[in-house]
Amino acid sequence: MTPRSSLRPLDVIIRIAIVGLTLGTAYIHSTLGGLLFTLNATGYVVAALAIVIPLGLAIRFRWFIRLGLMGYAATAIIAWAITGPYYTTAYIAKAIEVALITLLAIDFARMDGNPINVIKSELGLLSSKLGRRPATGQAGA
Amino acid sequence: MKRFLLTFGLVAVAAISAACSTAAAQPAPSGPVDPNGPTIVAKDMAFAPATVEIAAGKNVTIHFDNQDSAPHNVAIYKDASASEKISVGEIVSSKKVDQVVPALAAGTYFFRCDVHTNMTGSIVVK
Repeated sequence: MTPRSSLRPLDVIIRIAIVGLTLGTAYIHSTLGGLLFTLNATGYVVAALAIVIPLGLAIRFRWFIRLGLMGYAATAIIAWAITGPYYTTAYIAKAIEVALITLLAIDFARMDGNPINVIKSELGLLSSKLGRRPATGQAGA
Repeated sequence: MKRFLLTFGLVAVAAISAACSTAAAQPAPSGPVDPNGPTIVAKDMAFAPATVEIAAGKNVTIHFDNQDSAPHNVAIYKDASASEKISVGEIVSSKKVDQVVPALAAGTYFFRCDVHTNMTGSIVVK
């Protein structure tokens, strides 16, 4: 599947939902106090911005932002599963993060295709650039 | 792509399941409870006092006053490794709650906020 840059109405809806969920979990973490939670909330806000900002560099590497945010949310879930605490607000935050990962995966599939192929393509592009050989590369919006 | 989505889904479900399975309920202490236990205040991300005393061999009510908007609780463990729970209080924000601590043998016990594990204190049982 070739990555595409044009957005269909469903893509816009998914992107809005991703931003909403990201800001939602950012807000929950910002209310928890302490440096770790504040940094976590800041990370989510930056990611929410990066997922929609219409800058060339962000558009070019949107695939990486999607994967990065999925990894970030997955890390938060796993860390919480190991250390807790297990109470209502935490369950809500984790449910949001699970939904966020799901939507990001759907967005990735719609915009970029198979992540393995995207990573292979990007690595090929990088090695071409390092070897000063001409290459073509594409990325989704 | 389906495998990619399935993997993420399974990891998330496994993580949530693991978390749910470790949240065990504590048995209520039997016998009379001394209602005049110490008050522990949480303010500015710290406990005050950081060390409290209670009587040995008696169930006692600890009064927890969380003055922060951030959520805190008083979770009492046998020692600082926090591997053996004794009494884990409700996590609350800007609220006072009472917590019944079961009768303990003389010694020094460790307590912390389970949300902010750098907030710690000691309970001296005499």
